Amino acid sequence: MNQELTLTVNGEEHTLAVESGEMLLDVLRGRLHLTGTKKGCGEGECGACTIILNGKAVNSCMIPALKAQGGRVETVEGLADGEKLHPLQQAFVEEGAIQCGFCTPGILMSAKALLDETPAPDSEQIREAISGNVCRCTGYVKVEQAIQKAVKMLGEENS
Amino acid sequence: MKRYVGQSEARLDGVWKATGAAGYTHDVTLPNMLYAKILRSSHAHANILSLDASEAEALPGVRAVAHWENTPRVLYNGSAFAVTAASHFTPILDQYVFDNKVRFVGDEVAAVAADTEAAAEEACRRIRVSYEVLPAVSDPLEALGEDAAAIHEDQGWGKNMLHAPTEAGVGDFEAAWAECDVTYEGTVKLPVQKQVPMETSSSVAQTLPGGGLRVWSSSQTPHQVRVLLANVLDIAESKVQVICPPFIGGGFGQRSGMSGKAEMIAAVLALKTGRPVKLEYDRHEEMTATDSRHGGYVNVRLGAKKDGTFHALSLDPVLNTGAYCSWGGTMSMKIYTFGATVYRVPNTRHFGKTVYTNILPAGAMRGFGNPQAMFAVETAVDAIARKLGRDPIDLRMQNIVAVGDDWDNPFECVSTELAACVRRAADAIGWAEKRGRKQEGTLRRGVGIAVGRHVSASDRASGVFLRLEADGSLYMTSGVCDMGNGITTTLPQILAESLSIPLERINMYAGDTNATPYDIGGHSTRSLYDRGLAVINAADQLRQNLLEYAAEVWGEKSAALRYEAGVIRGAQNSWTLEELALYAHRHQRRFEVIGRGRDSTTAPWEAHAAEVEVDMETGVVKVIKVAAAHDVGVAINPALVEGQIEGGVLQGIGYALREEITFDENCVPYNDSIHKYMLPTAGDVPVIESIIVEANDPLGPFGAKGVAECSVVPTAPAIVSAVEDATGIRFLELPLTPVRVLQGINEARASQ
Repeated sequence: MNQELTLTVNGEEHTLAVESGEMLLDVLRGRLHLTGTKKGCGEGECGACTIILNGKAVNSCMIPALKAQGGRVETVEGLADGEKLHPLQQAFVEEGAIQCGFCTPGILMSAKALLDETPAPDSEQIREAISGNVCRCTGYVKVEQAIQKAVKMLGEENS
Repeated sequence: MKRYVGQSEARLDGVWKATGAAGYTHDVTLPNMLYAKILRSSHAHANILSLDASEAEALPGVRAVAHWENTPRVLYNGSAFAVTAASHFTPILDQYVFDNKVRFVGDEVAAVAADTEAAAEEACRRIRVSYEVLPAVSDPLEALGEDAAAIHEDQGWGKNMLHAPTEAGVGDFEAAWAECDVTYEGTVKLPVQKQVPMETSSSVAQTLPGGGLRVWSSSQTPHQVRVLLANVLDIAESKVQVICPPFIGGGFGQRSGMSGKAEMIAAVLALKTGRPVKLEYDRHEEMTATDSRHGGYVNVRLGAKKDGTFHALSLDPVLNTGAYCSWGGTMSMKIYTFGATVYRVPNTRHFGKTVYTNILPAGAMRGFGNPQAMFAVETAVDAIARKLGRDPIDLRMQNIVAVGDDWDNPFECVSTELAACVRRAADAIGWAEKRGRKQEGTLRRGVGIAVGRHVSASDRASGVFLRLEADGSLYMTSGVCDMGNGITTTLPQILAESLSIPLERINMYAGDTNATPYDIGGHSTRSLYDRGLAVINAADQLRQNLLEYAAEVWGEKSAALRYEAGVIRGAQNSWTLEELALYAHRHQRRFEVIGRGRDSTTAPWEAHAAEVEVDMETGVVKVIKVAAAHDVGVAINPALVEGQIEGGVLQGIGYALREEITFDENCVPYNDSIHKYMLPTAGDVPVIESIIVEANDPLGPFGAKGVAECSVVPTAPAIVSAVEDATGIRFLELPLTPVRVLQGINEARASQ
C-alpha cells in the first residue's frame, strides 16, 4: 500500500509515494538515484548504508522509509560544497584512507556525525564511531589518521 | 623534472570514491531491466529427482526460470584458473550452470528473472524440487574415508580426490631425515577463511544485436569471464563484452574468475528473456556460496643438524577444496612451492592431496596457499629453535635463502632483503627486551616472528595500449581491474616517470574487454610487476617511434636524436611532445602501441613481528602490535604499499584469532552473515607499523616487486609464536578462538 513520504535530503525536499515495506536505503538509491550510499548486507551489520538522519548516524537499510517522515537526511552526495570537498573527504583522499571505496561513503557519514557532535574526539571515540563500519581493505589505520587530520582541518577552519 | 616513482600520489579515483560518484556493479541500472534471484539447495548433498517450475513461471512479473533442464549442459570451471593456467596444468572442469545434483548447502538449483526482486524471490519459493538426500561430509579426511559418498564421478584419482596426489622434492628426504640431529613433526589444522569483500558478487547482463552479450561484473578478471561465458553459452568470444563498472568493491581473490555464478546466471536469464538482467548476491549468499580459502591439514617435518643448519623438510597437505574445483587444481603444490623455498634446505619432499567435500568451493584467497604453508613451516622452525635452545630470529637468519642460492623454483632468487626485514621488524617490536620473559598472572605478554616469500610474475600475455593524442596527452588502457589496490594510479605514475610528462596529462581506462588488450586480470601479486613492465615497454616503443619520426621529418639520423623530459631533440631541431603530436596528426601520422611484460619472475619477501597479550582466564588473545616489514623492491607509491600492508595484516590477524566458517553435522555453514563471521573491525586494530624495505631487484618496473598478498602470509604464525612466548603453549590449529586457547591452557595445566 502506498503512502506519501516527505523528507529533506542534502537540503532538498522530496515528496514521493512509498510502500510500507520500503527501507530508507531503497528510497535513496532506487527512487532518488543517490547511489553513493551502498548496500553491503541489508541487515544492519556492515555500515555501508550509513547516512545521517536528524543528526544521528544510522544504518539506512534498517529504517523503514516512512519512519523518516519529515526528517532531515544527509548522504555522502551532500558532503561537498560544490567543487569544495568537505575536510573529511579531502583528508581521506590525501591520507590514502580509500582503497576499493565501497565502505567509504558510510564511514564518511559516521565520521561526520561524530565530528558534528564531538569536534575534537580522541582515538577511542573515533574507533567507537566507526566500529559499525566494516572495511576489509584498509585495516582502518589510514582511516583513523584521515579522521584525525579532518579534525585539525576543521579546527583551523573554525578558528 | 618532477618524479613520480616513489611518490605517495593521491589515488586518481579518490575524489570519485569520496563523493559517492564511483560506480560499481551494484549501481548499474538499465531500462527494462529484470531482477534475478537464485534458488539454492538446503541439502549438502543430494540428487535432484524432479523439478517443477510451472507454478513459479505462472506468477505475475516472472519472465523466466532457469534450471538444469533448460540451460547449457557444458562443463566448465568458473575460476580464471581454467583460462589462464600455466600450460603444464590441466584445468579441471566440474561445474554446470545448473546440475541435477547439489553438492553443498547453497549450491545453485534454479534462478528466476522477474520485474522485481520480490517477485523473483516469491517465484523461487514456488519452484518444486524433490531430492534424494545423500550422505555429506565437511572434512577432507572424512571424505576420503570408506563411508563417504562420492561427490563427483571418480576421474581415476580415487573417490573425492580432485586430482592425483601432487609430488615434488629435491635431494633425498628419507636419507637426510635419518641424518638429522634434531627433528620436528607436526600437523597443523587450518580453517576455512572467507574474503568478505564489501561489495557482494553481482552482475548485470544484456543481450546485444547480432547475438552478443554485454556484462557488467564485479570480477577481477573481465577478459577471463568473457572467455568463460562465450565458451559455455556458445557465443563467439569476440561478441562478448565484460565491463568493470569501473570499480569493484574489493576482491581478495574471490573474484579471480566469475563472481560466484552471477555473470553466468545473469547472462543465461538475459538470453532467455531478451531483457537486461541484474543479479546481486545478498550477504548470506556472498558468505556461503562464493569461493573461500582452502582449509585442511598440513603435515610438516623439519630436521636440522646440531649447528642449526636445516637439512630436511617435508610438506604433506590434505586440503579441503569444497564442492567444486575452482582454483583448487594448483593449491596443494603451492603449499610446497611457497613453503619449501623460504629456507635453504637441500632435501625436500612433498606429497599432497586436495579433496572434495560438501562445503562451499575453496578457490583463490589472498595468499593462495602461502598462509597455510607458512603456518606449517614456521611452526616447525620455532620447534627446532626450541629444541636447539636457539633464538628463533638467529636460527632463521642462518637458514633463509640468499641471492644465488639453489632452491626448488623455476626462477632464480635475484633479490632478497628478508634479513633486513627480520631485523627491522624485530627492532620495531622490541624483540630483545620482550622475548622469553617468564610470566605469572592472568595477563601475559609475548612476542613472535615469522617470515614468508611470495611471487610476482610477468609474461607477455597481457598488453597495455598506449595512444599519443594530437595534443600530446596520453591515453592508456589495460584489461586489469582496480579492486582497491590502486593499480589505476600506479600504472599512470610509471608512465609519467617513463616519459617525463605530468601525471595530469595521462588518462587510464581499465577493465572493459571491448576497449582493452587481453589481460589475465588483477590477481597473484603481479598487476604492478607485469603491467608496470608493459607500460615501460609501451613507453619505450613510443619513444623510439617518436625519435624515428622526428628524424625522418628533420632529415637527421634517428640515432643522434634524444628524448629528454618531454622534448625530442635533434642536432638542429627540437620539438615538445605536444608539437610533435600535433604536427604528426596533421600529416596523417598517429602513434599507438601495445606494450607487454617479459618472461620474468621475482620474489617479494616479508617478515612480521607480533606482540600479544593473553588473558589466561578468558582465553582472549589481544594483539598489541604488529611490525610488518616488506621487501617490495621499490615502492612506486609508498602510501598505497602501506595500505596493502595494513589491510593484509588485519586479515592475517583475523585468520589467526577469529575467522572461520564452521559447519554443523549436516554441513550447514554457521557463519552466514557479517555478524556471525568474526572479522576484525575498527576496535580490533592494534598498532600496525608498516616497514617498507627496498631492494635492488634488476627485473621489475623501476625495481618494484608486488606486495598485495604478502601482508597476510606471516601474520598468523607470528601471532601464534607470540602466544607461545606468552604462555608456553604452541597452538597447531587456527583460529585461536578463546575456546581453543582455554582448552590449550587447561590441557597444559593438567599435564603439569
